[in-house]
Amino acid sequence: INSKQLKMLQSKVLMRHPMLKWFLMSHEKQSYVLQLAILSLAMILSFCTRLFSVIRFGSMIHEFDPYFNYRTTKYLAEKGFYEFHNWFDDRAWYPLGRIIGGTIYPGLMVTSTALYHLLNTFNFTVDIREVCVFLAPLFSSLTTLVTFLMTRELHSTGAGLFAACCISIVPGYISRSVAGSYDNEGIAIFCMLLTYYFWIKSVKTGSLCWSACCALSYFYMVSAWGGYVFLVNLIPIHVLCLMLTGRFHHKIYVAYSTFYCLGTVLSMQISFVGFQPVQTSEHMGALGVFGLCQIYSFVEYVRSKLTKENFTALFRTILMFSLGCFALFLAVLTLSGKVAPWTGRFYSLLDPSYAKNNIPIIASVSEHQPTAWSSFYFDLHVLTIMFPVGLYYCFKNLTDHNIFVILYGVTSIYFAGVMVRLMLVLAPIMCILGGIGLSSVASTYVRNIDLTRKEDKKSKKSADNYPIKSEVALVVVCIVGAFMMFYAQHCVWVTSEAYSSPSIVLSAETAHGRIIFDDYREAYWWLRRNTPPDAKVMSWWDYGYQISAIANRTVLVDNNTWNNTHISRVGQAMSSPEERAYPIMRELDVDYVLVIFGGLSGYSSDDINKFLWMVRIGGSTPSGEHIKEHDYYTPQGEFRVDKLGSKTLLNCLMYKLSYYRFGSMYTQTGQPSGYDRVRNAEIGNKDFELTYLEEAYTTEHWIVRIYKVKKPDNRGNLV
Amino acid sequence: MEALFSLPFQVFICPNLKLRKPSWLKTPSPMFVFALILVSYFLVTGGVIYDVIVEPPSIGSTTDANGKSKPVAFMAYRINGQYIMEGLASSFMFLLGGCGFIILDQTNKPSLPKLNRIILLAIGLLAILVGFFVSRVFIKFKLPSYLGN
Repeated sequence: INSKQLKMLQSKVLMRHPMLKWFLMSHEKQSYVLQLAILSLAMILSFCTRLFSVIRFGSMIHEFDPYFNYRTTKYLAEKGFYEFHNWFDDRAWYPLGRIIGGTIYPGLMVTSTALYHLLNTFNFTVDIREVCVFLAPLFSSLTTLVTFLMTRELHSTGAGLFAACCISIVPGYISRSVAGSYDNEGIAIFCMLLTYYFWIKSVKTGSLCWSACCALSYFYMVSAWGGYVFLVNLIPIHVLCLMLTGRFHHKIYVAYSTFYCLGTVLSMQISFVGFQPVQTSEHMGALGVFGLCQIYSFVEYVRSKLTKENFTALFRTILMFSLGCFALFLAVLTLSGKVAPWTGRFYSLLDPSYAKNNIPIIASVSEHQPTAWSSFYFDLHVLTIMFPVGLYYCFKNLTDHNIFVILYGVTSIYFAGVMVRLMLVLAPIMCILGGIGLSSVASTYVRNIDLTRKEDKKSKKSADNYPIKSEVALVVVCIVGAFMMFYAQHCVWVTSEAYSSPSIVLSAETAHGRIIFDDYREAYWWLRRNTPPDAKVMSWWDYGYQISAIANRTVLVDNNTWNNTHISRVGQAMSSPEERAYPIMRELDVDYVLVIFGGLSGYSSDDINKFLWMVRIGGSTPSGEHIKEHDYYTPQGEFRVDKLGSKTLLNCLMYKLSYYRFGSMYTQTGQPSGYDRVRNAEIGNKDFELTYLEEAYTTEHWIVRIYKVKKPDNRGNLV
Repeated sequence: MEALFSLPFQVFICPNLKLRKPSWLKTPSPMFVFALILVSYFLVTGGVIYDVIVEPPSIGSTTDANGKSKPVAFMAYRINGQYIMEGLASSFMFLLGGCGFIILDQTNKPSLPKLNRIILLAIGLLAILVGFFVSRVFIKFKLPSYLGN
């Protein structure tokens, strides 16, 4: 039958059975529809998998830092950008206050507010809290899309699809971007991958337009997260690596010069960054490579114009002279203090023992601990196995952009090993390289599969040195499929069990069902409703942001931890006996003290477990010199709260506030009264009265305890 | 200008040296760099940095009912804690799985003799399966409630 008859036959069949349209499309159209379907499913999946905690606990903000972001976003939405930018907050860090406008990265707040106003113009009257809660899952969908685009640029469409599917459910990224985790990292990863995508495009094409896009998305990244320092060092290292391997050419020159000039000027528009790009050591690498680019290109230009001997003579003298001058210049600037050396947080990435020995606040945060092998496996599962495979395929065909991906992978593996929190930065590149590895293996072996029937196969001449080619290929492809299924099972389990807890609401399974502990919010709302609006609350710095946002009261110290001396003063008050703590509290105008106590409920992240950090930080400044850590241990060196505990511990303010009236409570069958369920001991100091404070409120499960500081007597001192 | 440059040489005499770049110094091949990266990957995923900072013991120990001390290989119930040996063993498993895939890629060369190809295929498949399933078993030791409820 000729083509005309074939077309008539096709249209007849289609009229009868329109669903068969799929099979009559060309291969390209089929593959395009398939790509679109897989990508949309991955994007929808990444949104849905982050909703566990909304289903279980309701739509609320989680943890500690997101409450600060939520409070500032509400302020921005109500008062507008100029009020927000010039905001001086006197309700935190009393009596110092905090310049919020100049000390935050506004990208997150501006994004939420823009989305909020956009929805309201279309009369979708959602509350600002809902926008905040669901922003991170939305941006994770966008991250899936950008990962697909980036991996497609780096390798192939198949690798892009694998990488998109991997990153939509990878636990390392989910941990910081569940619904309710309203933190900078939620949008920062999207901005970072967008910047890297534009960078790879500009390196490949050398066009001014892509480089400008790269600079703009770098500006968005700088406005979103302090981790932009990683970007501004990785891209120059990439350029340097290309120079060293002899791959530097005009496209990279255009890309980097445009990116550096535009990007630096734009990044200085954020008040928090200010003049840092020309003053701190973290940015000097980018400046140095910029200068090197110009010199290198100039040298190449001159080389093309001169004869060989003239050139080599000129080259050697100028090179030595300029290198010497530059090194001298940088040394002078660093020694005279004009160029600041690497600051604490970033320096501890290069020398991990620095924080442990010198800055206890950085060392005390659990997210800043180094990483054990199980964190890698827990957060990345099968990608830890596929990462070397992806690297291998990149090394097999080295190109300019492959080198970028290799550098990104190697540096982020090291940084993730130093600090658990940076697993977030490692997760995208693990997905990209894992996607490249899986896709290369799958595509190599799918080519070997031969699904023709047995009789046809016998007539084909199979190569003598490759028996059972098709069967082996089938096995390998099945293994790849099985790995992906195990990965999905693992990721959904981890998301559901480990990363979907709001931390402000606790839940426990008992024989009688599930109990919800909503003590935190109960206490904060009690503060909000039963204390004067200008009351000042003293607590450990962990709870500062939550008290500011939910209870709306002035706090002394919060999670920003910018003033070590002030935190140390609070630590001294907590570690001293009542008589010595009272003058400190009067000095700081404290009206209420809030402590977290887990002895009745078995909640282990309470203030007694954090107490040693209060002692260390309290003793780290001159006014706290009398506070020594070993005073709080038994003579054998143990930390005990029972009768054998040290007297200093049993009489300090934190102990008394935690265990007030606890001596008469029976907590567990078979145990005496006053049995602490977390320390597993009967407390040593049971019957005591408080002299300078009185109990104001204790929540249902005794998790949060609030005390009122008594005012001094009218005549003389309190007895 | 020439007079200025020739001033030092009125005082100093240039020695007759012939300095050449040593011949063994050349840019490393990509696969050599890849091997170095694999070694560093092994160390970092094994938690070497954690070992240096936190200084855990090489193997833990518990005392059983009779008072005898028994060795404990895996620090249980903590995701971000490890003993030194368990870290290195697990990152070895990761690397084994990765190398299995790399070996599998090498078997596709058309000019390989039949016996070599079969041996490489077997080793590659074995490495992949062992690496993956042993890692699963290790994490189950560490978190008894893994994939449970």
